[in-house]
Amino acid sequence: MRTALILAAGLFAAPAAAGVPEALDQHILPGFDRFVQETGALARTAEEDCTAGTVAPAYHAAFDTWMPLAEVKIGPSDTGALSVLFWPDDRGFTPKALNGLIADADPVVTQPEDYAEVSIAARGLMALDMLLFDPAYDSADPYTCQLVTAVAVDLARQAETLQAAWADEFAAALRSAGAAENATFLSPQEAMRALYTQVLSGLEFTADQRLGRPLGTFERPRPRRAEAWRSERSLRNVLLAADAAQSLAHALAETDLPLTDAAMVSVREAAAKVNDPGFQDIDDPQARLQVEVLAQEVRSLRTAIANEVGAPLGIAPGFNSSDGD
Amino acid sequence: MHRTLLTATTALCGLTTMVLAETDRGAVLTTYADIAAAAYADSLATAQELQAAVEALIADPSEATLTDARAAWKAARVPYQQTEVYRFGNPMVDDWEGKVNAWPLDEGMIDYVDASYGGATDANELAALNIIATPEPMIAGQTVDATSITPDLIADTLNEADGIETNVARGYHAIEFLLWGQDLNGTEAGAGDRPWTDYAQGGDCTNGNCDRRADYLSAATDLLVSDLEEMAALWATGGAARAAVTEDVDAGLNAMLTGMGSLSYGEQAGERMRLGLMLNDPEEEHDCFSDNTHMSHFYDGQGIWNVYHGEYTRTDGTKVDGPALADLVAEVDPALDEELTAKLDTTMAALGKIRDSAEDGFAYDMMLARGNAEGEALIMAAVDGLIDQTRSIERVVTELGLDSIAFEGSDSLDDPDAVFQ
Repeated sequence: MRTALILAAGLFAAPAAAGVPEALDQHILPGFDRFVQETGALARTAEEDCTAGTVAPAYHAAFDTWMPLAEVKIGPSDTGALSVLFWPDDRGFTPKALNGLIADADPVVTQPEDYAEVSIAARGLMALDMLLFDPAYDSADPYTCQLVTAVAVDLARQAETLQAAWADEFAAALRSAGAAENATFLSPQEAMRALYTQVLSGLEFTADQRLGRPLGTFERPRPRRAEAWRSERSLRNVLLAADAAQSLAHALAETDLPLTDAAMVSVREAAAKVNDPGFQDIDDPQARLQVEVLAQEVRSLRTAIANEVGAPLGIAPGFNSSDGD
Repeated sequence: MHRTLLTATTALCGLTTMVLAETDRGAVLTTYADIAAAAYADSLATAQELQAAVEALIADPSEATLTDARAAWKAARVPYQQTEVYRFGNPMVDDWEGKVNAWPLDEGMIDYVDASYGGATDANELAALNIIATPEPMIAGQTVDATSITPDLIADTLNEADGIETNVARGYHAIEFLLWGQDLNGTEAGAGDRPWTDYAQGGDCTNGNCDRRADYLSAATDLLVSDLEEMAALWATGGAARAAVTEDVDAGLNAMLTGMGSLSYGEQAGERMRLGLMLNDPEEEHDCFSDNTHMSHFYDGQGIWNVYHGEYTRTDGTKVDGPALADLVAEVDPALDEELTAKLDTTMAALGKIRDSAEDGFAYDMMLARGNAEGEALIMAAVDGLIDQTRSIERVVTELGLDSIAFEGSDSLDDPDAVFQ
C-alpha cells in the first residue's frame, strides 16, 4: 500500500511533459534556425539576381527547411504559418493577388516592411512557386523581378520574426507548463497535448489535403490541386511532412517506436513508386493507385503514432486549426 | 464490456450521488436538444417568411419588394447562425449543413458577374458557367438539360457540380447572391447592388434572362425551406438527432463540446475571420453579398454561448432554458466554469464591437482592407477570444472525463480499420 502511494506521488511530482523539451531542442528550435538561414540565403540570392533560374534552387532549399515546421501550428505559428505557406487556394487568390500587384505596379514592393501588409496570397512560398515556375510570370520583367525580391525578403523577415517569437517566449511557455505564472498551459499534459495534436493533425492534413485533394475521385482526379505542383514539390512535401511527424513523435515519446518507424519505411517505399513529383500524371489509373497507396501509408503512420505515443501517455488530440469545413 | 465495469464501479461508489449526477447530465442534454429544436424551428419559420417575400418580389418586382426580401433574408440568418454550434459534433447536422450554408461560392456559376471576376480557375472549370444564361450547359464533359430551373435540378445537378465544393447552387448564400448580386465595392463600404429590374419581366428586364433568374430564386428558396423542415423534424420530440444526443450521455456531452470547440477555433476564428483578414479580400466575408458578415459572426458566437449556458432567446423573444453545461462544470470545477464563462463573455464583447462598428458605418469590408490597423485590431480581438475559449473548452472535455473520445476527423483513433476502407 505504502509503495503504491509513493509511486503515485512520484508520478504527480515528475515533469509529465518529458518530451516537450526534447521536441523543442531536437526539432522545433533548430528547425527555425535552419529556416532563418535558408530564407536569408534566398533573399540575398534574389536581391543579387532575381531571374527564376537563379532563385529556384534557393527557393527549394528554403522550402525544405519550412516543411519540418509547417504543421506545428501553435503559438506564434498559429497565425504565422498562414503567410509562410498559403495553401490550399481553392479560389485562386494567389494569381489574383499577384496579378493585382503587377497590374497596378504597386510600389509596395519597394519597402520590405510594407510588404507584410499585403494579402497572404501574395506572400511566402506559394507566391514564389507561382512567380518562379508559372509561365504566365516573367522574372525578366522589371516589376516582376522586384516582386520576386520583395516576396523573398519578406519571407526572410517572417522567418526571423517566427524564430524569435518561438525562442524568446513560446518555448518558455511550453517548458514551464503547469507553473503558477503560466497562463497558457495549466499543466504539463496540456503542453504535451498541444504538440501531440500538431503531429496527428499534420499527418491528417498531409493525407487528406496534400494527397487527397489532387486524388479527387477515381472518375475525376484533380492534378492541379496538388500542393506546389508548379515547382514539382508535391511528393517531396509529403515525405518531408511525414519525416517531421516521425521526428516529433520520437522527441515526444519516452520509448522506442518500432511501429512508427516501420510505418515510415512503408511511407518511403510507397513514395518511391510515385513517378511524377508533382502528381500531374494521376489521370493514369496506375499512377493514381501509387498515390492512393501513399495516402494510405501516411494514415497508417498516423495510427501508429497515436498508438505508440498517445495511448501510453493517455492523451487524445485536442482541437486543431483544421477542424471545421 | 467497459460499460458493465463502469456500472459496477458506480454502484460501489454510492448510488445516490451518482444517480443524481447522471440525471443532471441527462437534463443538460435535454436542454441542448430543446435549444436545437427551437432554433431550427425559428430558422424554418423565418425561411418561410423569406419564401413569402420572394414570391411577392417575383409576382410584383419593385424596389420595395426587393428591399422586403432582403430584410427577410437578414432576419432568417439570426436564428440560423445560432444553430451552427450544432454542426461539428452531430453527424446528422454536419452531413446536411452543406445544403443550406455552404460557403464560399463561385457565384459566376449561377448568374452574370463583373468582368473583374475572371473565368475558370485551376480549381473550378465552372467558376463562370452562368447557369441562368445557359439552358444547356456542359458540365464535366456532359451536356445538361437546364431548360427548366427546378429544385431538383439545383439539388441533383448543379450543387457541387463537377464535384467542386465552391459550386454552391443552393442555400442561404446562393439566395443572398440572387437578392444582392456581387459586392463590387471592394474594401469600401457598400453591399451588392443588384437592381430590382433583374426580376422585371418583359422589356424592363435588366441583365437578361429575368424569367430564369426568378425561377432560380424561387426554386432555391423552396429548397431552403424543405431542407430546414427536415432538420427541424430531426430535433423535435421523437427526432433522430435528438435521440442521438440524449441516448448516450457521454456521446451527447462530447457532441456539445466538439461543436463548441470546432466552431470556435478551426471554423470561425480560422476559416471565417482570420483568413479573410489575412487575404484582405472582401469576398472572404461570410455574407459577402449582403454585407451582413458582422451579424453572422456575432450570432455564431452567441450560439456557442447559448449551448454553454443552456439558454436561447427565440425570434419572438421567449426564452428556452434549462439545466446547463455551465452548471455541470461548476459542480466539478468552479474555477473552470468561471474561466470559460469569462472567456465566452470576452468573445461576445469583441464580436459585439465588430457588429456595432459595422452598423455605425465601419463596414466589415473596410476592416479587411490592407493596412487597416483599426479593423485588424477589431477582428483579431474576436479571433484571439475564440482561440482562447477553445483552450478552456478542451479543459472541460478533460475535466468531464470525455477526452478518450476522439474529436472530429480522427477516424483512425476511433477505429483503426477505418483507414483501410
